[in-house]
Amino acid sequence: MLNVTGLAKRHANAGRPLFSGLELTVAAGETVALVGESGVGKSTLLNCIAGLETADAGSIRIGPRAVDIVGLDETARAALRARQIGFVFQAFHILPTLTVAQNIAVPLLLRGVPLKAQPARIDALLDAVGLRGFAGRWPTTLSGGELQRVAIARALVHRPSLILADEPTGNLDPRTADEVLTRLLDNVRQQQAGALIVTHSQQVARRCHRILTLTPDGLR
Amino acid sequence: MNTLAWWLIRAQFRTRRVATSLSMLAIALGVALGYAIHLINAAALADFSRAMNSVQGEPDAVIVGRDSAGSVPLTVVEAIARDPAVQSVVPVIDTRVRLAGAPAPLRLIGLDVFSAATMMPKLMPRQDATATDAPIFAGGVFASPAVLRQLNAAIGDTVTLQRGDRQWTTRLAGDLPALGPDERLLVADIAWVQAHFGPDDAVGEARVRLTPDTDPAAWRDELARRLPPGLLLRAADDENARVSNLSLAYRVNLNVLALVALLTGAFLVFATQLTAVAQRSTQFALLGVLGLSPRRRLLQVLLEGLAIGVPGALLGLALGYALALAFTRLLGGDLGGGFFSTGTTTLVPAPLPALGFLALGALASLAGAVYPAYLNRRQALAHALHAGFAQTPRARPARPLVPALRLLALALLAGGLSRLPAWSGLPLAGYAAIAVLLVIGIAAAPWLTRWIFGLCAGLPLPATQRIALQNVAQAPLMAQVAAGGLIVSFALTASMVIMVGSFRVAVDRWLDDVLPAPLYLRSKATPLPEDLLAALARPDTPFARVEGMAHATLTLDPRRPNVTLIVRELDRLDPAARLPFTGPLSVPPDETLPVVWISEPLREIYGIAPGQTLRLPLLGGSVEVFVGGVWRDYSRQFGAVTIGADDYRRLGGRFQANDLALWPRPGQNAAAETWLAPYARRDGLEVAETAEIRQLSLAIFDKSFAVTYALEAAAMLIGLFGLAVTLAAGVWLRARELATLGALGFNRRMLGRAVTLEGALIAIIGLLIGLACGVAIGAVLTHVVNPQAFHWRMPLHIPWPTVLGAAALTLAAAIAASHAAARQATRLPLAQVLAGSQ
Repeated sequence: MLNVTGLAKRHANAGRPLFSGLELTVAAGETVALVGESGVGKSTLLNCIAGLETADAGSIRIGPRAVDIVGLDETARAALRARQIGFVFQAFHILPTLTVAQNIAVPLLLRGVPLKAQPARIDALLDAVGLRGFAGRWPTTLSGGELQRVAIARALVHRPSLILADEPTGNLDPRTADEVLTRLLDNVRQQQAGALIVTHSQQVARRCHRILTLTPDGLR
Repeated sequence: MNTLAWWLIRAQFRTRRVATSLSMLAIALGVALGYAIHLINAAALADFSRAMNSVQGEPDAVIVGRDSAGSVPLTVVEAIARDPAVQSVVPVIDTRVRLAGAPAPLRLIGLDVFSAATMMPKLMPRQDATATDAPIFAGGVFASPAVLRQLNAAIGDTVTLQRGDRQWTTRLAGDLPALGPDERLLVADIAWVQAHFGPDDAVGEARVRLTPDTDPAAWRDELARRLPPGLLLRAADDENARVSNLSLAYRVNLNVLALVALLTGAFLVFATQLTAVAQRSTQFALLGVLGLSPRRRLLQVLLEGLAIGVPGALLGLALGYALALAFTRLLGGDLGGGFFSTGTTTLVPAPLPALGFLALGALASLAGAVYPAYLNRRQALAHALHAGFAQTPRARPARPLVPALRLLALALLAGGLSRLPAWSGLPLAGYAAIAVLLVIGIAAAPWLTRWIFGLCAGLPLPATQRIALQNVAQAPLMAQVAAGGLIVSFALTASMVIMVGSFRVAVDRWLDDVLPAPLYLRSKATPLPEDLLAALARPDTPFARVEGMAHATLTLDPRRPNVTLIVRELDRLDPAARLPFTGPLSVPPDETLPVVWISEPLREIYGIAPGQTLRLPLLGGSVEVFVGGVWRDYSRQFGAVTIGADDYRRLGGRFQANDLALWPRPGQNAAAETWLAPYARRDGLEVAETAEIRQLSLAIFDKSFAVTYALEAAAMLIGLFGLAVTLAAGVWLRARELATLGALGFNRRMLGRAVTLEGALIAIIGLLIGLACGVAIGAVLTHVVNPQAFHWRMPLHIPWPTVLGAAALTLAAAIAASHAAARQATRLPLAQVLAGSQ
């Protein structure tokens, strides 16, 4: 689902290398935890994989067709994200002006799935993340744990091949974090997607199939 | 429309109800003003043209005298009638007569009923059903329904028509059923009109219809070469052009003002959309991360602009129609401009102009959304997702030289544009110079903000003031957005106040010069009765001095409005005693050469200079005259020529005064008015004291600027809306920063004060720049737009108390708007904002 080879990126201002020659693969159904000290470049690596920042060298192949996101222009990168990548963020990033169901429907709309074909899929996902009956609720009425479960549903709704999660439990208490993580990992496995999870939490990392540590010398 | 786009638009309208409604209202206001002005002008022009057509018919050519006192000799009419290319010729006498019971002189048209039947069917009379013969040939007069109504007369009544000292008592023999309800005129057989009022062996004009196989343009060219110099050949198109030219500059000026209101509306859309983009930058970044392409992020903001603009413009069309109705009721069909004197104006909304204004409103709104849309497209997704929209403070202050040079270049461009001449009679370069001056004002705002408040940063200030200063200095883009609307609206308001103030002061002084006598007598359009003039010449009257003046018209260019010819009793060697000259007088090289003094508009329109000789179409011929000087005239926009009564008589003219200037003997003012009263009553003359004329003139002046004041007020309101919207959005955008300050020890009052102070500082910058731009634009309006559009020159007069009063009022309103934003800041749930749960 993800195949990174020879990836290099320099600091935008300092010009010194942040990382270089990175090699990384995530298989279908596999969950990989990415850990490392603050400032080492974990988020930058995630951004490069998502095509939100451009890499200086290397290739990042995503999905069953192994499309190299590095060589794409901005519009094509956006289209690839809409088809192949699901995101979960530490700060949830739920659109406050849309209902729960509308938030979850956004990736489907971006893929051009007609509105009529969506309710069944959205209801199934709400069930899967334990939010049955929440479809018409506004985000402002939800707790942090509930918001993150909405984010998980949104990340999975369009059946992406890769889930990128940046500190998905960072804003949650331990009990809620555990519950949310369980939902995320279960659903990722169920959909046979690959997941790369950036985390500082050893508990989160331990529940993934593999743990990679990013250091100034590269991935270990 | 895409579902997601629709959801986002709906969310935008739901969550930013006030800002989007205000933007919509601003666009509606701009469209409404423009559309109302269009509707009123179109209706007034159509009424005017309809009235012209019903009288004039649809001839291929009209032959008239260039001088309104002149006429077309019957020999010329007969020669034209013999031309095989001519199908028919209708000789017409068009004159004015006074009728007992009518408050103003009436138009009397003398025509040959047989030849006029096909060309001017609307003037065909309907005779009294009881008449046994054809009363038109027996000297009967036919009245339009409006005249019958006004005189409360019935067919069969006897009436006395009077023109100067000549009278004609006759019978109302029928009516003119095809004329409109507001058209006031009389029709009689041309032979009877000639017999009673002249001219002998001539007619006022000849209307020609050509055979179908004749090329009218070629025929007119050929005939024009053969016509005597005192005669003029006109085409129907010339008449339309003349009617259109009559109010063109006034219409364009009002439309430019409406466009300004629309542009201010576009600016409000800009402020709303920019703050909306900034406010939702995290959301847009998320959508970008989820796969919304940059193009669709751009389109989304543009669509939101359209979603404001289209309903706004639709509302504007409805509002415009209502405004047009209200304006025509209150100010008449010419919006107080004084160009048309048609009665009630009927508004006819046509689909094409309505669509045009709808598109204009939508485009203005779209234009306002372009830059925010561009910013939205350019947002760095990863950064915006975590940090939201932030204008990064500059690491080091920008070198002031570069923006200063840029502003200087723009100032030079504005200066250059203001020196360009008018284009097709319109001050387009002047308007462009005004636009550049506004751009300078808006472009200077962030630079001045950073510079002035950057300098203040070194001052020892309490925490609240320091925070406010730093915020304004370090977020110049937001300051620019907030101040921009205020700069534009205040600059335009100040400039209009300056221009109107300059004009009013100039008119006030000019009235002193042109009204030297204490008392005036007017007969409107007909010559004063001979017995009155004879009585005034006697030594036993209460008048020490009497000076007469007669008005006629000249056609110098058939496509332009006529020029007024003023014949008056004045000293050829000392004309400055009666006319307010703008420069030195020229002395004619030859004492026998007639001297004329031209008005300022005439010099501007026709490029005639004092000291030169020119040929004027006078008294049916072409007369060489010497231009002795240029005098200031604010009442005849299309020019006037003054000639002394002695010179006019020497040229063979008959001086018949319409107006008199009267100097009563000392202490006999009341006696003078009593002496005049019986004549005024009998002949329907107007007697007015100088103070009355002055008061009336200034009242007309103020009325003609009523629409301008309304537009100014609208622009000012829109500017204040813009400031309020931006400040309120600014508080929302900086919620986290304000919450952090709260956590660090700022209490709610301090936060409120800081936000109020920021608003006040931005308003002060906006008003200072607006004032500077306003003075510059006022100078362009006074010295460039006014002379080029209306041919009036005047010295610049800045009414400082009014301008500064308006600034103080605006500042107070701006502080009130800031205070509202500050209250919003003090209500922020600080703990929740700091937690940043979403």
